[in-house]
Amino acid sequence: MRKFLVIAIPIVTLAFFILVMNSDNILKHPLGKNDNIPGSIQLVMQDIQAEKWKDANNKTDELSKSWRKVVKRVQFSAEKDEINAFDMNIARLRGAIMERDKSDAFMELCEAYEHWHNIGK
Amino acid sequence: MNEGLVVFVRSIIGFFTLLIFAKILGKQQISQLAFFDYVLGITIGSIAASLTTDLSSRAWPHWVGLFSWALLGYLMEYITMKWRYAAKYIEGEPTIIIMNGKIMESAMRKMRYTATDIMELLRIKSVFDLAQVDFAIIEPNGQLSVLKKPEYEPLTAKDMNISKASTGISTELIYDGILIVENLRQLNKDKNWILRQLKKQGIKDISEVFLATLTPSGSLYVDKYEDHIKKITDIGDYKGPY
Repeated sequence: MRKFLVIAIPIVTLAFFILVMNSDNILKHPLGKNDNIPGSIQLVMQDIQAEKWKDANNKTDELSKSWRKVVKRVQFSAEKDEINAFDMNIARLRGAIMERDKSDAFMELCEAYEHWHNIGK
Repeated sequence: MNEGLVVFVRSIIGFFTLLIFAKILGKQQISQLAFFDYVLGITIGSIAASLTTDLSSRAWPHWVGLFSWALLGYLMEYITMKWRYAAKYIEGEPTIIIMNGKIMESAMRKMRYTATDIMELLRIKSVFDLAQVDFAIIEPNGQLSVLKKPEYEPLTAKDMNISKASTGISTELIYDGILIVENLRQLNKDKNWILRQLKKQGIKDISEVFLATLTPSGSLYVDKYEDHIKKITDIGDYKGPY
């Protein structure tokens, strides 16, 4: 029994660590309510396409909330730079919506999607 | 992102991974480490440090680096254990530097040791006269092993045909004022016995004792908290901050 524990504890510990370090690829995907990043990005894009700027602004708030939820889950395994870059995209997106700049808003949303996509890669 | 929390979690990952890998890699003491093992230790430690604090990259690639280095280190150890031929190259081999009292100049040159280095290593081994040395060997870890000429070896009980009983290893009976009952039982003694022994030395209570040890041959060592030494010898040769 003692020998089993001596071998089992390190193996289970290492396996747990490997799981934690690679969990971002799973945890970035929607697991509950209001944490669907690609879905939220899609919704903001639709509003911008239809030039519904007020709705786009509200959806950006939703996207920001969803992102904060996801960050809490992926922070232990994801790169800090990717997380920071996504935050910057949201900030710039707000500016583009304020200025009603369609092309800038799309650029920020596409880049934000890419940063989300890169998490866990 | 809570950076403090992330670093804390990564520290736990780094710390325990390092502990597990170090356990797998073996129990060599620092003083016994060969140069390569020393570098291996530093590299693995450095990777563990960046795993903990370098948040600009994921923990996973650092961990893979840590794992790879530990695995290669383990493989090296395994190869040297199983394959003597490779061990000779990887770990090196002892080199005789003084043989039958004569310095082997070519071996010395090959090892890049000067006469001064050899003299220094001999002095560390308490040998101040080269004439006393029969054999001197440079071990793979850089230390010098010395065999003195028989006439310079200290006289032993065997030389005098005297029989001596084995003293055995001393066992702690009291530490920090607390009696260690298991050790007492192991040596077939009881609390009354130790109290009687302490009384002989003028000690009334176990709590007065910092350390008490006993050898199987019956030699009892007792150190009290109160040492009653007024003038402590200062071995420092010049004044310092303390």
